[in-house]
Amino acid sequence: MVRARGLIVLTTATLVAFACGGTTGGGGGASKGTIKIGSDLPVCTIGGQAVSNGVQFAVNQKNAAGGVEGYTIQYQSFDDCRQGAYSADAGVDNVRKMLDDNKFLGMVGPYNSAVAKAEIPIAAPKHFVMISPANTNPCLTKDIAGCAYHPQDLRAGNANNYWRVVTTDDYQGPAMATYAYKTLGIKNIGILDDSTVFGVGIAGSFEQQFKSLGGTVAKHSEYKKEQTSDFKSILLGFKNAGALGVYVGGTDDQNICIPRKQMKDIGWDAPFMGGDGIETSDCVDQASGNEPNIYATSAGADATKVDGAKQAIADFRKAFSGPNDFGGYTMQAYDAANALMAAIGRAVKNANGTPSREQVRAEMAKTTGFKGVIGTYDFDKNGDTSLKIVSIYVVTGSLSDAAIKDSTGVCGSKTKNACFVWKTQFDFAKPA
Amino acid sequence: MSLPDFGFYVLCATAIVLLAAQAVIHPGEFVQVFIFGLTQGSIYALVALGYTMVYGIIELINFAHGDVFTLGAYVGSAILGFFAISEGGFTTVNLIALLLVFPAVMLVMGGINVAIERVAYRPLRNAPRLAPLITAIGMSFFLEGVMFLWHGPATVHFPDILPKAATTVAGVFFGFKDVFVVVVAAILVALLAIFINRTKLGKAMRATAQDRDAAQLMGIDINRTIAATFFIGALLAGAGGMIWGLYYNTVYYQLGFRSGLIAFTAAVFGGIGNIPGAALGGLIIGLIAAFSDSYIGSKWTQVVVFGILIGVLVFRPTGLLGMRVPEK
Repeated sequence: MVRARGLIVLTTATLVAFACGGTTGGGGGASKGTIKIGSDLPVCTIGGQAVSNGVQFAVNQKNAAGGVEGYTIQYQSFDDCRQGAYSADAGVDNVRKMLDDNKFLGMVGPYNSAVAKAEIPIAAPKHFVMISPANTNPCLTKDIAGCAYHPQDLRAGNANNYWRVVTTDDYQGPAMATYAYKTLGIKNIGILDDSTVFGVGIAGSFEQQFKSLGGTVAKHSEYKKEQTSDFKSILLGFKNAGALGVYVGGTDDQNICIPRKQMKDIGWDAPFMGGDGIETSDCVDQASGNEPNIYATSAGADATKVDGAKQAIADFRKAFSGPNDFGGYTMQAYDAANALMAAIGRAVKNANGTPSREQVRAEMAKTTGFKGVIGTYDFDKNGDTSLKIVSIYVVTGSLSDAAIKDSTGVCGSKTKNACFVWKTQFDFAKPA
Repeated sequence: MSLPDFGFYVLCATAIVLLAAQAVIHPGEFVQVFIFGLTQGSIYALVALGYTMVYGIIELINFAHGDVFTLGAYVGSAILGFFAISEGGFTTVNLIALLLVFPAVMLVMGGINVAIERVAYRPLRNAPRLAPLITAIGMSFFLEGVMFLWHGPATVHFPDILPKAATTVAGVFFGFKDVFVVVVAAILVALLAIFINRTKLGKAMRATAQDRDAAQLMGIDINRTIAATFFIGALLAGAGGMIWGLYYNTVYYQLGFRSGLIAFTAAVFGGIGNIPGAALGGLIIGLIAAFSDSYIGSKWTQVVVFGILIGVLVFRPTGLLGMRVPEK
């Protein structure tokens, strides 16, 4: 048995050696060793897997270019799905696994804010860097009114270990409220949330802004996935109360886009709006038969509309050619992984060897003027990015093949010609 | 009448008066919500029949039944994939596919349910009553697991092949689909009633439900009769799954859990073991759910529906039309 294990180690070592030899192309010389970075994402979902691909791509590129200061980066993707949906418990287990292995110096993720809320308290005392490509709940970094928990409590007196490359829902909701009220001319709206932390938060911030602009909220209803399959009564309630559109706070895994289909079943033709949780293929599928005019926000600049990201996306598409490989947060994940590896690189230099988690965390906190593909940005002391851009997308049906290529690539899996198309963006960093 | 009984009836009467008031004040909305309830209720009725038939004959609450219903939609979606159906409009292919797939799904689900009975319930026929109940719950999770492995956690698209015709009459919007659901469910329930009351096997089922031992002494093959009950229950569940898919066009693997519990509530509401009761109970629960969604709020619907379950069990355990269970 001992011998067998020795054989496996030997084989693995050989394989790794070959792999490294192949990628460094003879330059750089021998690797100083490996440093692991992880990710904690719901890879059972299309969106989660697309994010993991972004990290994988960044790591592959870095290793191909000789690694980080001579170290080979080994990436491991952890899945925080349980029973097919993200689970904070699964996320916590994954972070514990990473903490138990000293080679892990940081992670990209998580994807869902509820998972981050559970993970930060475990990772913070160990100075374990977490960089989320997609968390948008403001309460994770900002102590603002309406939060059920506070960022300082999550960190329990430890230095901040959490950063994110996207902006927060307190911008996503208002951006759509402004767009609906001013651009679409909708003055009366029905709001539906899915009773999750995310859904309630984003719906609340939408409602506040919509009302402050002078709009009327016809009705604000909520549902739970396990309890509601037929939304027609709720939608009829909105319609009869005078609503001219629907705003949903929630995510596709909570069936948030099924009401879109059922709007057609009650003969109601009106725009359907939501946050980044509906900017997915699953959402387009759920809306089957009534896809056009679904409006979604994304808390970040659209990578495909940023000149600096064009090359990275083209390269990514070469390496990951599947139709669902690229998602709305893939480039954010790419940036997050690069920011993490840059911090690790600086820590390696300072430590003149393998750095500690605390050293990596300290370097990450010093990040300024980070040149990512989605922009050049800083992080404030809470971990928030200085980029405060919210993008707005709309599903357009019957697109031509060329138009599909030009869209976000987030299309229906059955209705392949109905895709999210970039519409406009709001920059909250600049005064309006 | 005791005081709690009195309170229960007052509560029911108040609810009916409030509904009647809504019907007078906003008749258009009332009729529209009534249609929502009728379509939902028709599907619940089909599922409730399976619960009630199985309970009537072996006194087992077959918790896997809701998942058989969901699996029906999955199987239907898969078989429809073999046809060159059009989701844009109603074509001849759609019609042929519908006419072939509908009975096919029913038969497949019937077969599966017979297998479930053979594997999970028959060996436990004489075990304490808790044992088959537990295997039923196990079977429920098993079926959910199968569907999870088959299509993953996301919602599964069910082909939209019915005619899309819809119209507005006096401010009430309804489509071909709504009519289809109610009519098909009504036909199936009528066929079931004829089968139970007019055929030899139907008579054998009634006899077995009344007194299994006596029926056996009269020369009725009990195993065959019970298997037939599971078969027919699943025919209806399969049909329910197909209708669900055709109507809602989305299905996900955990759907059967909640729908099953609601259908079970409908069966209890109508009087468990009582076939017309289950059909009526399904319709009424569907209507209550729709009215609750509209007039109270959807977050309360579950509370209302299961509140009714508790209320019926406590105050009227025999249900609306009376329980029909073996007499001991």
